[in-house]
Amino acid sequence: MKLMVTFDREGVLEANIANAILKSGVPVNVERAQIDGDDGWTLLDVADDKAEKFIAALRHPGVTVRIQKDAVSHNITECVDCGLCISICQKQVFSFNDSWQLQVNSERCVLCGRCVMYCPQRALTLQQ
Amino acid sequence: MYKSIDDINERIRDGSVRVVTAEEMPDIVDELGVSGALREVDVVTTGTFGAMCSSGAFLNFGHSEIPIRMEKMWLNGVEAYGGIASVDCYIGATQESTTKGIEYGGAHVIEDLIAGKAVELQARGKGTDCYPRQSITNEFTLADLNQAVMLNPRNSYQCYNAATNMGGRPIKTYMGYLLPGHRNITYSGAGALSPLPNDPTFSVIGSGTPIFLGGANGTVVGEGTQHSPGAGFGTLMTTGDMKEMSPEYIRAASMTGYGVTMYVGVGIPIPLLNEEIVKHTAVRDEDIVTSIVDYGTPMRDRPVVRKVTYKELKSGSVEIDGEEIKTSPLSSYKKAREVANELKARVENGSFLMACATREINAVKKNRPMSEHGVVRRVSEMMTSTFVTITGEKNVKEAATLLLKGNTNHLPVIAAENRLIGIVTTYDISKAFARDEEDKCVSDIMTRNVITALPDEPVDLAARRLQQHNIGALVVVDPAKKVLGMLNSYALGDLVGERWHQ
Repeated sequence: MKLMVTFDREGVLEANIANAILKSGVPVNVERAQIDGDDGWTLLDVADDKAEKFIAALRHPGVTVRIQKDAVSHNITECVDCGLCISICQKQVFSFNDSWQLQVNSERCVLCGRCVMYCPQRALTLQQ
Repeated sequence: MYKSIDDINERIRDGSVRVVTAEEMPDIVDELGVSGALREVDVVTTGTFGAMCSSGAFLNFGHSEIPIRMEKMWLNGVEAYGGIASVDCYIGATQESTTKGIEYGGAHVIEDLIAGKAVELQARGKGTDCYPRQSITNEFTLADLNQAVMLNPRNSYQCYNAATNMGGRPIKTYMGYLLPGHRNITYSGAGALSPLPNDPTFSVIGSGTPIFLGGANGTVVGEGTQHSPGAGFGTLMTTGDMKEMSPEYIRAASMTGYGVTMYVGVGIPIPLLNEEIVKHTAVRDEDIVTSIVDYGTPMRDRPVVRKVTYKELKSGSVEIDGEEIKTSPLSSYKKAREVANELKARVENGSFLMACATREINAVKKNRPMSEHGVVRRVSEMMTSTFVTITGEKNVKEAATLLLKGNTNHLPVIAAENRLIGIVTTYDISKAFARDEEDKCVSDIMTRNVITALPDEPVDLAARRLQQHNIGALVVVDPAKKVLGMLNSYALGDLVGERWHQ
């Protein structure tokens, strides 16, 4: 599952992620990160069955952890189910069901924003 | 066995007509045979819903008190063509807003009108004896217009190329975002459900053929622009009353990095008059072949990567060079089905009748490229062949001396046999001097990723590359990377001047 970890000013001072990996022994994949001197965020991918252990190890002042579920918001009124987003997204967030209706699997999203940018109907947005 | 249009219309009127969509037809023909299917089925409905840039509408506003001849006009900030008569205009789908760019364009104005929203008109005229007024600002809705006639010069392609990008950088096209190194493929069209693949010989579709257009019962005007059925790329010019249309079937769209376009729902009923027509409507996705072309080559004749069927494209992936590449449509198959089913319902409930075409559409002609009489200037004509180069082991100071002597800002760095390995510019040299690095080797400070041009490339392509990379010169090389010359931005400046004075 994907974890959205945000850091405040206190949170960016320490090697929180490295510490949590060492402490829990759980490997994580850093998919995106934007951190500067004041604050920041990172998107981590962690195995579902080890997430709880890792989150417990990551708990620290200045660090907020949220399980990311609805990263992509899909406006079905605007969407015409063209499916252009399907091949643009290399993380396979998008697919068709049997009746050629667009399905969005937000859990795979790494927040690159490419689908939002190139949806001809402007029917997709990212929630952070 | 034959059927006439009148026979079929009789059945539509008495409610006994049998209509199926083009998706259902192949199985019916397999089961009943061609003559059986002809006996059983009267009408096959088709549908497509995709980006059809070449769309637009004629609008008539009626006369204002103190009349004006509207020569220049804008609808919600989108310029419409006013060179028609006093109070008419043509609004093209791809025209972009003067303030919002591609986020709002002609297609959005059309969609807003069909959705019943108010649109602001601003117009100017020079003022004449009969039309004294010089400007007007007014708000109107679709209901306020005398006529709102959609007239699309080119809709419903018989078949369209699929797109990929063999180049090294992502590109933004009317076929969507194409990742570098052919990592995705996009395609358009509903395949065997599309209208023209079901009548590729134009045996029933012609001028006057009744169609479903954007929710209205519309008409085929005749062949569309760029019509090229001889190459499998027939098109139709279509028209319909915007007042009968629905935003369900007309949707504005913005292709980022390209522009505005309009998704149009087009459905054409094919009356089954004889066995020949039945055979055509039995077409399947695997019978429709198109080309995957490289949009990374920005030339008219883009290289064909491979041939592909719509069945493969619709499967979600296609193999290129042994790799499975994801495909995605940019037209909506779900909406295409809705179009075909809605048209089927209209024929069944008697609100849509068949008609003979009044004029045939040419089924063999081929589209021609622009007949260009101007000369295409090539890089080799504009480049300078007197240039200086340096080798990588020379030091910065020697490079500086060479730049001064050669009176240039760009110094290609070469290895054996004049092969290009990098470039240093006056900027790189100044930077090195400022950092007291004049004893460093050229190869330590050079840029390795050199932006180059080929001698036989059109100069316009090279100019765009200079612009994209924000640089002053391109190194002209042969395919073996041997340096042939330099193309400087000031040479292109002369070219622009020359064009203006022609």
